[in-house]
Amino acid sequence: MSQHLLNLLVTGGTGFLGKPTVEAALARGHRVRLVVRPGADAAQYASWTERGVTLARVDLRTRAGLTEALAGIDCVLHLAASKAGDMYAQYGGTVISTENLLWAMEQAGVARIVNISSFAVYDYAGMRSGSTLTERSPLAATIPPRDEYSHTKLVQEQLVQAATTQRGMRSVNIRPGVIYGADNWWTARLGASHSAKRWVRIGWRAMLPVTYVGNCAEAIVLGAERTTTLAAGTMLTVNLLDEEVRQGVYAREVQRRLPSKPKNTVIPWTVMRLVAWGAMTFNKVALGGRAKLPAVLVPARLHARFKPLRYSNAAARKELGYSPRLSLAEALDATFAAPASRKHTG
Amino acid sequence: MTNAQANTTTARASRLRVCVIGTGKVSDEHLRFVSASPRTTLEAVCDLSPSLASYARDMWKARASYTDYREMLGAVKPDVVHVVTPPHTHAMLVRDCLMAGAHVLCEKPITPTLAEYETLHALAAERGVRLMENHNYRFNGPTLELERLVGAGEIGDVTEVEVRMVLPIRGGGRYADVNLPHPSHRMPAGVLHEFISHLGYLALRFAPGPVDCWARWANLGGGTLFRFDDLDSGYRTASGACARIRFACNQAPDCFTLTLRGTKGMAHADLFQPHVLVNKQRKGGAQLSPLVNQWVAGKVLRRASVQNFRNKVMQRTPYEGLGTMLGLVYDALATGGPAPVSSEDTRAVLGLIDRLVALQGAAPSATRAGGAA
Repeated sequence: MSQHLLNLLVTGGTGFLGKPTVEAALARGHRVRLVVRPGADAAQYASWTERGVTLARVDLRTRAGLTEALAGIDCVLHLAASKAGDMYAQYGGTVISTENLLWAMEQAGVARIVNISSFAVYDYAGMRSGSTLTERSPLAATIPPRDEYSHTKLVQEQLVQAATTQRGMRSVNIRPGVIYGADNWWTARLGASHSAKRWVRIGWRAMLPVTYVGNCAEAIVLGAERTTTLAAGTMLTVNLLDEEVRQGVYAREVQRRLPSKPKNTVIPWTVMRLVAWGAMTFNKVALGGRAKLPAVLVPARLHARFKPLRYSNAAARKELGYSPRLSLAEALDATFAAPASRKHTG
Repeated sequence: MTNAQANTTTARASRLRVCVIGTGKVSDEHLRFVSASPRTTLEAVCDLSPSLASYARDMWKARASYTDYREMLGAVKPDVVHVVTPPHTHAMLVRDCLMAGAHVLCEKPITPTLAEYETLHALAAERGVRLMENHNYRFNGPTLELERLVGAGEIGDVTEVEVRMVLPIRGGGRYADVNLPHPSHRMPAGVLHEFISHLGYLALRFAPGPVDCWARWANLGGGTLFRFDDLDSGYRTASGACARIRFACNQAPDCFTLTLRGTKGMAHADLFQPHVLVNKQRKGGAQLSPLVNQWVAGKVLRRASVQNFRNKVMQRTPYEGLGTMLGLVYDALATGGPAPVSSEDTRAVLGLIDRLVALQGAAPSATRAGGAA
């Protein structure tokens, strides 16, 4: 049981990472208020409300009701974000939501937040192959955006940083790596596509910064507890991964647990890198740079997914006291214990 | 004399100073044009979201961004303002821009009703500035090709026009969002008000002067979020031509088409997958014309498949007509010539929409509204 029992507001608490985060918060004795959409069916949260979780029916894309939802809250766990749609949809779900949340936190006098960001914020193309990505590694440029997700997560971080500095808030900014778990074991860092019969993979030696969803959730709650000991005006940023594992090893371990092993077509990283460079050059020279190409043919995006780098969770261990509960093998066993995970679609 | 008048009459060679209010998805094409045009400088952008305003400022190299449009109007004193916000905000924003002495180009529908437009139009006249509504699809390649065909008499006199739009607005997305209902649900035609201007101005372009309207509004998907999701409507003109205006969300595939039938042939334009098919009397005479029409149609479709793939890769959207229209707008501002979309064009569309809206809730047997437009 934790020493600091907190009243937590959890945004995005109904999603893939949000659900285990609520569970982890309850397990450590915290009280949880869960943000749900106004049209949500309360019955689906019955198992939580029976354990004291309260519901705040608000939509973060508007300020209506947000200040009231924050009454009595010690710390916000901000997981809500958009991962799909065009730039404007992701602005609405990620950036404007965060603007509204930070505004309401100021109104309600709530000064602590755990912001869930992403490894997508880093500038992979500017890093040397084989170097170690740390919290101090260069961030991607916001203009022009590399892609919608990385751009909006960067802007989200900037908003939290600005509010932290200006208002003397205490913030923990967590950048999780590849989060895997039940029904969500595939990662775009493995390759271009996958089906029951065939995986088209890109590279096999690069490291994946993986974190099991349950482990990640526990780290987020540790982040909330860490806000109580931070100095005012401080934003602590940590990369979160359980361990680094080679693409080939992760793919083999996943395929071993599938009901039938798919065939693998593996394109070497160096070859793909050259193809993407060629596509970019053709686009620039012949098409004026206006063509929209698949992500694997855009060097900055290709590097973000497949570049061979090293990763470390030293900061998370040191600053949050993080120690992943489940190992890769245990976490994959837990992942594939869920029937949905065995459908080749994760 | 307003800023706008001063710049457009005494220094026509100079660039007009432009502001854009609203930096959502629709603003992209406006900002692309303004930031690239040799006639304009993008002075400032404005949005309620400071982050979104900053993004637009940085992406399109505006000189400043604001979250308060009144502050922007006071600080920048623009010659032209593009109002690219949701429809329910237009009237207030347009009025304040006109009061600030700026020409205004506003997204459709400029106002929910004709009466509200007349108030703004009178204010624009009083201030000596122009007020223009965006009718971008009128300037898309296929629409212009239909105009050429009609002008050249290739399909004879137009006797029938059909404008059809199919969009899955109930299948997710901003209009179907029950958690944050789109403000357009509160417009007189509900969310269909977002689309009906396009349908109306295209129909009126080829069948002007409606005298006898009919409309069947329906909420086929049910529920309380949507007031209407289906419209089957039309009108007759004084010359006897008829027009059908159709919006559906329960059909496939998505489409936006304009079909003209004339005394000598027919022409069909697809605005989402741009191409124009023409079925008319060919040189081979009545016997061979059907074969020649099919052969030509095959050629057109093959070419369109390549061109539309290229459009997709090159990120060319169905908004292509907006760039053409804006070019004409700024030509008009520079030369003092007629605007590409006149106040009469806007009046005709809003008048038609008023009449179709007035038929909401009417029994099927009484869904007609007669009288001159």
